[in-house]
Amino acid sequence: MTHGYIGAGVERDDRHFLDGTAQYVADVSREGQLHARIVRSPVAHARIVAIDVAEALAQPGVVTVITAADLPDVRIPIRLPMAETPDTHKFLQPPLARGVVRYVGEPVAVVVAADPYLAEDAAELVDLDLDELDVVTDITSAASTGTPLVQPEAGTNLVATVPLTFGDVDAAFARADIVLRDRLRVHRHTAVPMETRGLLAEVDQGTGVLTLWGAAKVKHFTRQALSGMLGIDPERIRVVENHVGGGFGVRGEPYPEDYLIAFLALRLGRPVKWIEDRAEHFVATNHAREQEHDFEVAATADGRLLAFRDRAWCDQGAYVRSQGILPALLPAQHLPGPYRWEAFALEVHGVLTHRTPVGTYRGPGMTEATFVRERMLNRLAHELRLDPAELRRRNLIEPAQLPWNFAPTPITYESGDFPAGLDRLLDHAGYAELRRQRDERRARGEHVGIGLAAYTEIGGIGPFEEATIVPRPDGGFVAHVGVGSLGQGVETVLAQIAADKLGVAMQDITIDHHDTDQLAHGFGSFASRATTLAGNALALAAEDLRSRAADKLGVPSADVELGGGRATAPSGRSVPLSDLGEGWGRFDKPHPSFSFGAVLSLVSIDAGTGQVRVLRHLVLHDVGRAVNPVLLRRQLTGAAAQGIGAALLEELLYDEYGQPLSTLLSDYRIPTVEELPDIEVIVEERPTPANPLGIKGGGESGMVGTPAAIANAVADALGPASGARVWRLPLTPGRVRELLRST
Amino acid sequence: MTYTGHRVDSAWLEPDEHADLDLLVNGRSVRVQVPARCTLADALRERGLTGTRLGCEQGSCGACTILLDGLPVRSCLTLAVQAEGCELETAEQAPPSRELGALRRAFHEHRALQCGFCTSGFLMLAAGLLRDEPDAGAARVREVLSANLCRCTGGVPILRAVLAAQRELNGGHA
Repeated sequence: MTHGYIGAGVERDDRHFLDGTAQYVADVSREGQLHARIVRSPVAHARIVAIDVAEALAQPGVVTVITAADLPDVRIPIRLPMAETPDTHKFLQPPLARGVVRYVGEPVAVVVAADPYLAEDAAELVDLDLDELDVVTDITSAASTGTPLVQPEAGTNLVATVPLTFGDVDAAFARADIVLRDRLRVHRHTAVPMETRGLLAEVDQGTGVLTLWGAAKVKHFTRQALSGMLGIDPERIRVVENHVGGGFGVRGEPYPEDYLIAFLALRLGRPVKWIEDRAEHFVATNHAREQEHDFEVAATADGRLLAFRDRAWCDQGAYVRSQGILPALLPAQHLPGPYRWEAFALEVHGVLTHRTPVGTYRGPGMTEATFVRERMLNRLAHELRLDPAELRRRNLIEPAQLPWNFAPTPITYESGDFPAGLDRLLDHAGYAELRRQRDERRARGEHVGIGLAAYTEIGGIGPFEEATIVPRPDGGFVAHVGVGSLGQGVETVLAQIAADKLGVAMQDITIDHHDTDQLAHGFGSFASRATTLAGNALALAAEDLRSRAADKLGVPSADVELGGGRATAPSGRSVPLSDLGEGWGRFDKPHPSFSFGAVLSLVSIDAGTGQVRVLRHLVLHDVGRAVNPVLLRRQLTGAAAQGIGAALLEELLYDEYGQPLSTLLSDYRIPTVEELPDIEVIVEERPTPANPLGIKGGGESGMVGTPAAIANAVADALGPASGARVWRLPLTPGRVRELLRST
Repeated sequence: MTYTGHRVDSAWLEPDEHADLDLLVNGRSVRVQVPARCTLADALRERGLTGTRLGCEQGSCGACTILLDGLPVRSCLTLAVQAEGCELETAEQAPPSRELGALRRAFHEHRALQCGFCTSGFLMLAAGLLRDEPDAGAARVREVLSANLCRCTGGVPILRAVLAAQRELNGGHA
């Protein structure tokens, strides 16, 4: 018996957010806590001659000041085997700079004081004697000989090269009627969750257990990393998740501060708290996306795509952080997209520069790759005098061709119907009528454009998740999972799955995702994987309870019906679910799944100011199966809104000396309700055979095609000559006005 | 919606010197002793009123917006001593004002939040607007809401919620 929760738009409980009682990490306090303030490098590259902490240490309320000399020589590890290479260990970051600083914002010392105001005062008095060195800030030349080395011991600024080839590229290019080649550039920007990062660490003096509040996303890995770096058993570390004010990929990775705050709590024997301020956030929390591509596409005169070549340089910043080479690997895996290429060859380089390290931000790699490919497809459509939708339709992989494999690359598409998805998007938009209206407005002298983008998105990355279902004394159940909630409502979605699988009401299920003490293993919330991995693990945990009941009842498991809190045999004999002990499930996902999506954007340009206004924005994504369509739509909408910001407003600028120019929310403009349209969401449900629940994920999808579609719409509004010069983002008023004037 | 008045006596205080203040928070009088440089947001949060969030401490994001004598202020840019004798309203207000009550219902119904971090600030910003300008048009509401930042929802659900709350307060129906 099921209550039919899966597929229902169940509302989550949001009372705590509406009456101010939700507790984020900054709201947690422990008796006797001290406050840490990080002293950060003010320059991009320098030898540390000396650090004088005497004056800071003498300030009222200051308890200690530490530098690298006080720490063991440890590095923040990489958390995904797929993101590691034999060389990546050479580029890892120490928690405090050792001998050399490599980006503005790199932690150099930590001041601990009785109150945050005093800690901040004293941090100003830590005297850094720095001998400035030359910097590298250009990604395309970063790996050339003669450039300053970010990490001289490694002997190179090249972190990794990801080569992927499929088919005979030279032969395909030789057959082409048309070849287009251009440079395209995606800018440095990042997630900017409204809550900055924060941590609170305390050691229980009785048990010696270290508790760290403020973790998110990958709690179990954070515990493992701290265990290795601090040299204490993982069983003595408890990592706790509070309410989280947005993650989007950047929050919850193990950062230098996670180690520093834990180290200080252990050393001082008192609770230590650190709340990142916004100016710190802009230089300390992972940046994302900056890359340049040299992309060449070959096609026939009737619009059949043949092949592409791509060489790309992706910024990793000054160190390789916990996500390893993902900044270079993920663009490579998404360049082919949903099309029937005969061949391709790509080579993506991850390079170091003297700037804040780069990690993943919602739709990582795929957003950049989609921009590059889809811009070039629009250029191609124009050259071939084909409608951009028609060019795509002629080349999308057909459902009968699935599963599709670009062997020997690991890129495989299992399921879906890409052409049907595109058609549905166009129908929903009223494409023919929209084009007519655009032409009419154009005839009146307005700058109006339509942009399209289609994409594939990796999701459901493994290796696995576990879940346990434990009876509560009151007759309900607690389900323990290893993924995290970042404010997206995953606890509601997982409770729907658990309740349906157990045949109980949702109020009888508590989802516990807060605490590493409650579950042995967990990988976390990233790659749109939480619902797929943890949901299927919960389904297996429910199956475990069913087979325990079957043993007790002496019948095959398939004959046992779960419902009303009991497991019932066909004979009518039954046992209470609460008498079966703990249900355990583990869902392994050795291969990721790719899903399809498409975006359409309608924009207008103010000819006087160059300001782009998004008039309509539609996102379609095949999520496999929508467990909670209401929460899912919110994810797709929110991600698309961030994509609009990325396309038009947001940029982390640096000067030639590696000084960041965007360290305030007034310099780094995220979109407000004044800039955002009412985003239209279309959910496709074509279940994947790759997991029993059929889920493909959707937390990031609204982002992936959005900057590409907007760029194509702006190019369309500018007209063919200026439009062809849309090769980089963001399309700020200044840039668009320049393009308009060059007509 | 501008607030210009302040009620601090002219006595000069050093930054670390403590001041005894009487604040009226959500209808209750609260006596606090804070350094002269302590922000109003920190003073409230120290008293356990952590529903006032700090997202930037630069006056940009608006997560710390509260009502001071009925008008929205950034409590991260206001010193606690400036609020002496003023009437303060925060997201924790219980029972809520007419406006806050309607807004809480509308935010829930119109799904105007995800992570919730910006929610307190948006609720108080909108409460101040609907009290001060009950008949504000949609364009005005949109303009005022653009003073605060939300990174999760795309903003439009918040606008919809505030307009719905306005209809309820004005006796209309959705």
